[in-house]
Amino acid sequence: MKKEINFKINGISVVASSGETILTVARKNEIYIPTMCYISKTTPCASCRMCVVEASGMDGFVLSCNTPPVEGVEITTDSQALNHERVNIMKLYDVNHPLECGVCDKSGDCDLQNKTLEFNVERQNFSARDQLRPIKHWGLIDYEASLCIMCEKCVHVCNEVIGDDAIEVKFGGYNSIIIPKNSEALDCTFCGECIAVCPVGALTSSGFRYRANAWELERIPSTCAHCSAGCPLEYETRHASINGEDELYRVKNNFEFTSLCGAGRFGFDFENRASSDEVAFNKAIQALRSAKAIRFSSMITNEEAHILELLKAKLGVKLFNEDARKFASFMHSYSSISGKLHHSGSLDAIKQSDAVVIIGSRIATDNPGVRYALTTAAKHNGAKIVYMHPMEDALMQNVITQMMKHEVGTEEGVIALLANSLLSEASLDEDERAFFDELDLGYIYAETNIGEEEFSQMMKSFARASKRTLIIGNDIIAHERSSNIAKLAALIEKYSDFSIVVVPRDVNTLGVSLINSLDKDEDISNVVGYNAKGDFLISSLGSGDLAVAALNQQEGTFVSIDNRVLPTNVALAFDGYTLNDIAKAFDIVKDETIDYTKELNTNAGFKGIAFDDLENFLAPLGEDNRGYILDEVECASNGKIEELDDMPEFNGTIIYQCDPVLQFNNYTAKTTQLPKENFLRGSAQFAVAAKINDGDKVEISYGSTKITREFKLDNELKGTVALNPTFDISVDASRYRFEKSKIVRIV
Amino acid sequence: MHNENIEQHFNNRNVTEINSDYFMVDIADYPTDGWGKFTRTLRRALRGELFVGLWVVLREMIRFDIHTIQYPLEKMPIGPRYRAVHEMKRLWESDAERCIGCGLCEKICISNCIRIDTRLDEESRKEVTEYSINLGRCIFCGYCAEVCPELAITHGGEYENASDQREHFIMYQDMLTPFDTMKAGTQVEFEGFGAITPHEDERVKKTPLAY
Repeated sequence: MKKEINFKINGISVVASSGETILTVARKNEIYIPTMCYISKTTPCASCRMCVVEASGMDGFVLSCNTPPVEGVEITTDSQALNHERVNIMKLYDVNHPLECGVCDKSGDCDLQNKTLEFNVERQNFSARDQLRPIKHWGLIDYEASLCIMCEKCVHVCNEVIGDDAIEVKFGGYNSIIIPKNSEALDCTFCGECIAVCPVGALTSSGFRYRANAWELERIPSTCAHCSAGCPLEYETRHASINGEDELYRVKNNFEFTSLCGAGRFGFDFENRASSDEVAFNKAIQALRSAKAIRFSSMITNEEAHILELLKAKLGVKLFNEDARKFASFMHSYSSISGKLHHSGSLDAIKQSDAVVIIGSRIATDNPGVRYALTTAAKHNGAKIVYMHPMEDALMQNVITQMMKHEVGTEEGVIALLANSLLSEASLDEDERAFFDELDLGYIYAETNIGEEEFSQMMKSFARASKRTLIIGNDIIAHERSSNIAKLAALIEKYSDFSIVVVPRDVNTLGVSLINSLDKDEDISNVVGYNAKGDFLISSLGSGDLAVAALNQQEGTFVSIDNRVLPTNVALAFDGYTLNDIAKAFDIVKDETIDYTKELNTNAGFKGIAFDDLENFLAPLGEDNRGYILDEVECASNGKIEELDDMPEFNGTIIYQCDPVLQFNNYTAKTTQLPKENFLRGSAQFAVAAKINDGDKVEISYGSTKITREFKLDNELKGTVALNPTFDISVDASRYRFEKSKIVRIV
Repeated sequence: MHNENIEQHFNNRNVTEINSDYFMVDIADYPTDGWGKFTRTLRRALRGELFVGLWVVLREMIRFDIHTIQYPLEKMPIGPRYRAVHEMKRLWESDAERCIGCGLCEKICISNCIRIDTRLDEESRKEVTEYSINLGRCIFCGYCAEVCPELAITHGGEYENASDQREHFIMYQDMLTPFDTMKAGTQVEFEGFGAITPHEDERVKKTPLAY
């Protein structure tokens, strides 16, 4: 299968493996071929024809971007004829391109500018009748057709990587433009990836438009602080107004290899503006002295988590963080079977998979990074993707190949059935085999409401797959039977070629779960909250008794879904106190928070590398050089699979704690550009069951929580489960995400 | 006449040519030993150059056709390239501000004294909302005028800076050419570095049009 092809580029002998094109081989060997429309993460657009090369034995030129080399061929990348061709292409691109570089948002990092200068286009011989092409305003995205060069990068990215498939080319020769697909206005998840890939200023961010230029902005490489995907991004800062302090203007990403969702791209201004308040600081020290516990969220860096752990030892307080505690206990159960501390998969593994099972997550909104990896797998490898969830997700419709809709709360049964199908021929040990033999399949099929034929269909579609991944979502983490589900998942990994990715909920849930020894949250008084509720509130959200820095104002590291320790940097200065200052008051003395980076828990796989030694860049060919991957840690595998419990029944009006697109948490809720639609969204069927109508104000109550929301009918939803956003409230991460709830209309 | 001068300047910049007007100044070598230094000190101290200066002043005092300019009643004309307080120019065609808010002046400013803020205005154009030059920091290097792609910011000839606040000279509205001047057609183009070179019209290549 792996065949090597030897050929020559410009007289240099190079080797290609199968699947590589002339362009990729040239790039690997640092031979320059100019391109305009090529983008590494998609299939070649082949629209620009800049990448033409000469091949021996061929008349005319070949496109290097989509032509695989043949044995012994001699490629020339630069000749007078090629240069003439390329200059002509550039001239055609420049026809009627408005000379508004002085004001254009793209000016300064515009491919058209660069290439026009590179090819020294000094004379225009072509012309075309100019036409009126008004600017289209598509919410967060503006499209200026007169600047568009029809490279089609945006369409390819939207379709192949993001999966929205929201834009298309309206063909018409010189009149071609990009239009929203099947609708008048753009209806998509507003990831803004089209803005990122646009080589000219045709697609721009409406919130950024004309506010600053590329050369005025300072770029700070960092890591997105919204979800656990840990996407690399660059914050761009500049002063605001003539006497103002620095402000975040926009976020950019290395679109050649990575993607960013809209929350990362447009939700960057969650910084906490505060000044040093000594009185509040002293109060915080007092509060901590008398505190019984510290409750904190996972939206903190590893270093902060480490300091909290040191404070725990020093002050003898308890540490509450239900999100990370639940995650840790899930991973603990997983380890007890798999013998490894960390899950084996990664986003890259998902991208390369040809078979994926995803369970327990509305992944498109829970973790867009995973969604984009799934889209990439589906579009590029033709991956079979089985989506197991009680609710269909319209966003995943184009990507998944099989929807297995199961009853709410029956995940344990579903995963048992999954393991049963996948491991039917595995060489299990006696106890394990006994577990499967004793499964009451009829009962489980009935309770989960999944048919046997669905699993056989899945097995059939997986038959030829070689790289498989099981993605476990957040629903499972707080499931009553999460421990057994973890063990079953580990069993699948152990006896099959599946790798497993467990999706942590918050940006650093994984890191906190590895660093902190957490206690079960009790409803006690004298709790100091650190970015979480408490009697004394230390918060980076702007409300609280003592202000601390938000994640875009801090140095530190996160652990992402890839088990990768990623550095984050200071985009905006913070004048107030930090957790390190608090620790200093308790004689836990280090100059800087990042001095703790090399002291992070090595038993959990941290490498003891100092923060300043961590790299944060992608190599020219896309290798990820950000931070480091946690060392694999072996642990005892003495867990036993338990018998299945009776499946719980969820009847009546059920709500699912799930954020809308572009929202994740209180920080994204703070940003100016992101939409903040906090409606309870449900299907018509749900409206009938709950006896409410579109636009009604309703009170939702479950457990001890009561929330008031407006109900919105959503035609894309089906069934009797409604979606309740959580970004504007604090959600109890210890509870299963589906809640039996009482919904009352407020008159 | 004027253009010819400029052209000569642009064309003949080779100062090393033998027949150019440049020459090396004849300066004696510095003394290296103690005795040399001692004699140089003595020579300088006893030269009586002080009296040369005093004599010049005395001579001018008693002369009648003196060249002293009676400032501020009289003023010297200043060169077209003189770099005094900045001006913001307007377009000849429309009287609109030339500045497009590209921010290059802010970027290039080596003393970090320019700050600009822009936005998308109601007519979908880039509007300069705030513009300031901190004259306390400005070293009048002229880079801002040089980099400006629109010849919008230039240096003017206004060198009489006396006020109790430096900011008084740099109100954006004051820097802008007044409408009266535009109406009278007397806006003066800056001829310093960054200005349009002679024969610019002949060098422009026209874009073909299909219609």
